[in-house]
Order: sequence, then C-alpha cells, then structure tokens
Amino acid sequence: MLQGAIAGLAAGGLYAVLGVCLTLMSRLVRVVNFAQAATGMFGAFTAVWLVRRLDLPIWLGSVLGVLVAGLLAAVIGWIAATWLSEASTTNRSAMTVGPLLLLISLSFILFGNKPQPFTPIIAGPAVSIGGVVISQVTVATVAMAVITAVAVRIVLRRTRVGTQLRALSERPTTAELLGIRSRPLSIAVWFVTGVISAIAIIIVAPSQSSDATGLSMLIVPAAAAALLGGFRRLDHAVIGGLVLGIHGGLVAQIDEVALVRNFLPFLFIVVLLLWTQRKEVWDAAR
Amino acid sequence: MPLADRPRFTESRGFRLSWPFAVAVAGVGVGALLSASLPGYFVFLAISAVVAAIAILGLGIVTGSAGMIALCQLTFAAVGAWVVSLLNVMEAPGGFIVWLLLGGIAAGLVGVLVGLPALRLRGVNLAVVTLGFAAAADVTLVQIQFPGSVDGTSIERPGMFSNDREFFFLSIVVLAVCALIVFFLQRGRWGSSWKAVAFSERGTAAAGQSVQAAKLTAFAVSAALGGIAGGLLAGQVQLPFASSFTPLQSLALYVLAIMSGAHLIDMAILGGILWVLVPELLKRWGVDQNWAFVVFGVLGVQALTSGTNLGQTVRDALWRRADRKTANAALSALPHDAGADATAITTTTTATVDEAALNGEPVLTVEGLTVQFGSLKANDDVSFQVPAASIMGLIGPNGAGKSTFVDAISGYLPKHGGRVSLGGRDLAGLSPTRRARLGLRRTFQQDRVPPALTVGAYVRFVARRRLAAADIDEVLQFFGCPPARARLSSVDVGTRRLVEVAANVIARPRLLILDEPAAGLSHDEHLALAARLRELPQRYGIALIVIEHDLDLVRSVCPTLTVLDFGRVLATGPQAEVLANPDVVKAYMGETELLK
Repeated sequence: MLQGAIAGLAAGGLYAVLGVCLTLMSRLVRVVNFAQAATGMFGAFTAVWLVRRLDLPIWLGSVLGVLVAGLLAAVIGWIAATWLSEASTTNRSAMTVGPLLLLISLSFILFGNKPQPFTPIIAGPAVSIGGVVISQVTVATVAMAVITAVAVRIVLRRTRVGTQLRALSERPTTAELLGIRSRPLSIAVWFVTGVISAIAIIIVAPSQSSDATGLSMLIVPAAAAALLGGFRRLDHAVIGGLVLGIHGGLVAQIDEVALVRNFLPFLFIVVLLLWTQRKEVWDAAR
Repeated sequence: MPLADRPRFTESRGFRLSWPFAVAVAGVGVGALLSASLPGYFVFLAISAVVAAIAILGLGIVTGSAGMIALCQLTFAAVGAWVVSLLNVMEAPGGFIVWLLLGGIAAGLVGVLVGLPALRLRGVNLAVVTLGFAAAADVTLVQIQFPGSVDGTSIERPGMFSNDREFFFLSIVVLAVCALIVFFLQRGRWGSSWKAVAFSERGTAAAGQSVQAAKLTAFAVSAALGGIAGGLLAGQVQLPFASSFTPLQSLALYVLAIMSGAHLIDMAILGGILWVLVPELLKRWGVDQNWAFVVFGVLGVQALTSGTNLGQTVRDALWRRADRKTANAALSALPHDAGADATAITTTTTATVDEAALNGEPVLTVEGLTVQFGSLKANDDVSFQVPAASIMGLIGPNGAGKSTFVDAISGYLPKHGGRVSLGGRDLAGLSPTRRARLGLRRTFQQDRVPPALTVGAYVRFVARRRLAAADIDEVLQFFGCPPARARLSSVDVGTRRLVEVAANVIARPRLLILDEPAAGLSHDEHLALAARLRELPQRYGIALIVIEHDLDLVRSVCPTLTVLDFGRVLATGPQAEVLANPDVVKAYMGETELLK
C-alpha cells in the first residue's frame, strides 16, 4: 500500500512541477498553456535525439534539449504577446491548442511515434525505509517541485523583476505606462516555464510512459494540480500534484478500480472547479 | 404593382421552407453520382470525409454557435462506435441504421453529462474539463477495447449498403439528414438560444430562455452528431479501434472547426473534405502525413489569433452590399403612424396624468426590498407600486441603487430581502428566466444583444411566441429600427439597444423595465424615443418602469416618479409633486444650488 503511494509520488512530483508552471503562467501572463507539457516533451525528445544520433554527451544533449523547449515556449509566448495582448484569458489559452497539436505531430515526424529510448539521468533507489523504497527520481521531482515553487515566490516577492512582473500581471496598462516593457518580460516567463517543464520531463520520462501523446497529455493532471490552487497559489499547486500522484499510485494497486484511475484527474478537476466556481452563476458580474 | 415593390420570391414562405430540402436532395443526388463514378480507392476516403463532416457539424454547434470550447468530440464519436459495436455483437434487432441512431442517442446522453459542469464553468475551465475527459476516455478505451474487436467480429452493414460504394451513398444520406436537422435547429429557437448564450448569459435569461437548457441542448446535439459520426465510422471500417478516436484527433477537429467556421453547414462539410484531402495530398507528394496536423496547427493559431474564420469571412464579403444598405436606427420626431393632431415632444412637454390608470390594479408591488453587499446597503427598504399599463420613472443620482433594484426584481440577486410580487404573484425564489416568462421583462445598460443573429431572429427569440412577419415589421418601424432581415452585427450599439427595446415590447410583458434606454442616442433622439415610449401602455398594454438620467425624457414620458438616493426611496408619487420636493432637488443639485 505504502509502496504504491510512494511509487505514485514520482509522477506526483512531475504533476506538481507542471502545475507550478501553469500557475505561474496563469498569474503572470494570463494564459492556461495547453502546450506546457508538449513543449517539455519536445525538448526532452530533442535531447534523446541529440544523444543517440549525434553522440553528444548526455548532459550536453539535455541542456540543448531544454533550451529548445524554452525557445519553443518563447515563440508561443511571442505570438500571444504580439497578437493577443488584449485578448481574454480564454482566447489566449485556446490559441495554445494549436501549438499542442503541432508539437505532437511534429514529434511524430521527427522522432517517430514510438516511445523514446530515454537514458535515465537519475536512477536507482535513494533510501529504503522498512522495505519501502524511495527512488532518486521521486526525491528529485518532489524536490524540484518544492524548489521551483519557493524560488518563484522569492523572485516574485524579493526582486525588482518580480515586482515588475506582479505589476504587469495585476495592472498591465498601468505597468506599461510606468515604463515596464511588457513583451520581453512576458516572453521571458514563457521561456522559463518551458525550460522548467523540459527539465522535469527529462528526469521523469525514463520511468514513465514516454510517448509523445502520453507526455503531452500530462497537461491534464498538471491542470488539476494547478486548479487546487485556483491557478493562483503555488503551494497549493504543489500539494495538488503530490496528492494526485499518491492517489494514482494507490488506486493503481487495486485491480477492481483500475479504470477509475484514468478518470481520477478528470474527476479531481470537475469537483474542484464546481466547488470553486459554485457562486459563478452568471458570466458577467452585472 | 411596380416590380420593385413585389415581395421577392426568395422571401416567400414557401421558398424559405423548401430550399433547404432542395439543397439536401441535390446533395444526395451528387452523392449518388459520386458513389457510382469515384474510383474505388477514393470511395473509402470519401466516407471518411463524410464522417468527419458530421463530427465537425456537431462541433460547429457547441463551439461555433454556443461559444464553448469542447475538446472531446471524438470521445463522443467513440461512444457511438462503441454502442454500434456492442449492438452488433449482441445481434440486436433493427440492424445498422437503428444501431446508428441508438449510438447517437447514447453519445447525446454522455454529452449532457459532460455538459453538466458547463452550467458553472466557462471558457478555459471548460476546455480543461473536456480535454481531461478526452484523455481519460482514450486510455480507458485502449484498455477495454471495442466489443467484438478481440475475436474480430466485424460490424454488419445493412444489406442494401454492403459494399463501400453503397455504404458511401448511405453516409451521404445520413449527412444530408443531419445537415437538414442542424439547419432547422440553428434557424429555430434552439439555434437562437445557442448564439445568445455565447454572447451573454444574463441577456439570454432576461429573454425568458433557460441558460441551462441552451447549454445542455448544445452539448447534447453536438455529442449526438459526434456519436452518429462514430457509428458511421464503425460501419465503414467494420472493426473500430481506439486509435481512430484519440484526443489528438479531437484537438485537430476542434482547430479545423475553428478555422473553417463550422457553425455554417457548408463550412463543416468543407472541413470534412480538408480532413481527408490534406493528408492525402501530402501522401501523394511523398510527404509524411503527420504534416497535416502541423498544417492544421499553424492555420488554427492563425485563426485563433486573428479571431476570424474562413466561413465568416466569405459570408461577410457576400453580405457587404446588403450590410451597406442597412442603416442604423433613425428615429423621426414622431412615429410613422402618428395622428395629424400629434405634436412632437419638446423639452417642455410633460406627461399627462391619467387618474384612472394611476388608481388601477397594481402590476408590480415592491415591499421593503433590501439588497446588501457586505456592509453596503445598495437598496434599503424600497417600497412602491406600479399600476397596470402605466409608466413610472425611476430616477436618482449615480450610485443611487437603480440598477441594483432592477437586478433584484428581475431575479439576478436572489438573496434580497423584502417581497416583490407581479400581478399578485409572489416572485420569491423564481429565476430570472421564470420571471421573464411570467411577464416581467427588462433591458440592460450594456449591450446584451447577440450580434450573431438577424434582427428578425432576435425579435422572435425575445418575444417567445408566434409572430406574424407584419407584427415584427410594425414594431421595428415604430422604433425606427432596421428591417428584420438585417444582421445585428452590421448596426451600431445604439441601434442594437433600440432593437432590444422593440423586441421586449412585442413580447407584450406585463411590466417592462428599461434601464437607460436612451444612453448613446442624441438629445433629439431622446425626445423622439420619448414620443414612442409614452404610447406603449395604450398600444401594447404594458406597464413601464423607465430608468433614465435625461430629465426631459423622464418629464415627457412618466406621469409618476420614484426617486432613489443612497438606496432609499426619497420620494414617490405624481411627477409635479416629486420634482418639487426639496429633498429631491437637493439630491440632484446639491445643497448650494438650493441655497440660491
């Protein structure tokens, strides 16, 4: 039982990292980026390709792959910042469905539609307590989720760039009038979240299903995690991701409810949303 | 009769009813020709195009018309295919056609279930839910497989349509039937409600249309079409697999629906053709077929960033000449049918007080209405009566609580204190939709008129009853509005708000509340509007509450006035008394004015 929960924790850490990225995007650049996991997936696949085809060392391939993911995210961000700067969150988010479709298909073309042979960067058990093994991947992803959330918080609260970003997200027009350059800043946010998702996926992918669609659809549990924090709170997004992962691990052990497991993130999303939006009877405030 | 005055053949009722059938029959005819003449290889592709067209037709309703992002269309298709496979394995009676229908119904029911969250969720939240559903259903489908797929039980096509050519003809017939149904649904009440709910939920409810019903019917019809498409696909391949219904393909269909403008039937069919044509062309040119989705992705980003789609662009171009002829509302000083003795309203005109009307049975009774937002009392113990077929003006400075009052009595603030009754019936606990149906209508300060409708369709939607074309024309002419066939998207906001007033008048409610009807009109137009408003009780038998800042309009229209200030009733009664009340003057002009 406990082993199952711990096994789910690795996935939970990944959900949490992606959930933190989604929350960050939603807060700072007003978008729910459906292509969040897909850009990470594409970066990770590029890394695998670089390592296997060009015989680059793993670290160099990974770094280049992560950069590719960051640049891809930046391009999507550039589109959003250029043509949809005044658009609603819904319209900006709907636009990212295009890149999601495009990146999955492009990865089929470039890398084939088989799961990619990842060479694990981190592998093996980290600690074993009373027969329950905690893998290094688990430790790494959970730590990454927590560190990302804390780091983002520090940057937002304590640095000049953070203050500018918050100003930009809360009062975009006022911020621009104060001379904060919105486009470079928001594209930078896209770049950073692209980099973070790619790192997380490179770490976890070897121990998870690693086909393009499966990795890109991680956006669903990630969105569920972010929803626990209402797309606003980073700490709740981390908790949401971990809880979802643990639940998944637990349910996976019981054969009778194996099918329910697939619907777990979906049900999580529906229940959370219905609860948080229960007072949103109307589309407009008045 | 001069030729120009004759009713055009294209506007006659017979033509309006029959041309869709003629097009459908012609379409089936073309299908018959194609099924006989297409080379064998293309027949199979053509079936795929028809299947995709039906699925996109469904997306056109939920996404195109009703404006909700649904990323799980092929999951509904999978439900249809699954039901058809199951019935095939069970050797259920009725054969393929009946199974296909049952598959559509089953998918429609699943659509309602998935649509339930949409009653509270909108925009991007709903997109997350539908994508989550698609992803979960996909994994599940891979695990449980389609019935009969393990032992290879292929789906039995109907005897008459057993080979691919005949099955293609069957699929064309199904497409024609689906397109006809969608056409009449879109033109009818459901279609108007979908377009209305996409623009404004509050506006939809104020027209007496249930927002829930509008959203759920959109999901149900859309999913049912998805289910039919899936069932056809099952009959086409005879051994369906989960790989035909992946979330990736649902995303591609969504993008295709957005960029083609699938709320238009011809564009949905074009979308279906593109769905097959683009990969096929790529294959001919020796290019990886996966590029097709890359192309769709790029075009989708283009469509979503520019907010345009192919179908709408083409329609706009076709309509440009007609739009140019559509003038905005033009209010003459007096209605077109005013008697010879009528005089135009001037700034000194005052409303005549009809004692009989003032002492008539009250249509609206408000007792102790209180609305509290936190510690702020936006309405505090508001009480008054409005007699049937009379006009009351509700005035007060900005922030006096006038709009809050309208929201409260029209049902948008259910937690208010006090009692509101309409014609003796207590309205407590009734939704805005119910209140509108009981005869309490309102208009909005904001533009809540869905631009996707024509003027005539909007008037019919708001009126909620059978209207002769002549009645619609008459009320539109009375308010100087553009003709019924004009598109609301081609007129300015001031005109749309006049159309809103006209539509609510022809709905013949017992009480109509006009929230700043003259905002956005010039002063001359204010007076011209006043000349019409004061006739409404006699002409249409309705009582009015007019909220307005222009005192010239108020003075000339409203025999009685109620003044609100800081949420409380400052004065209520006949116009002359109320306007002479020192408290009212103080509230409007400030203390210093009074001291002079």
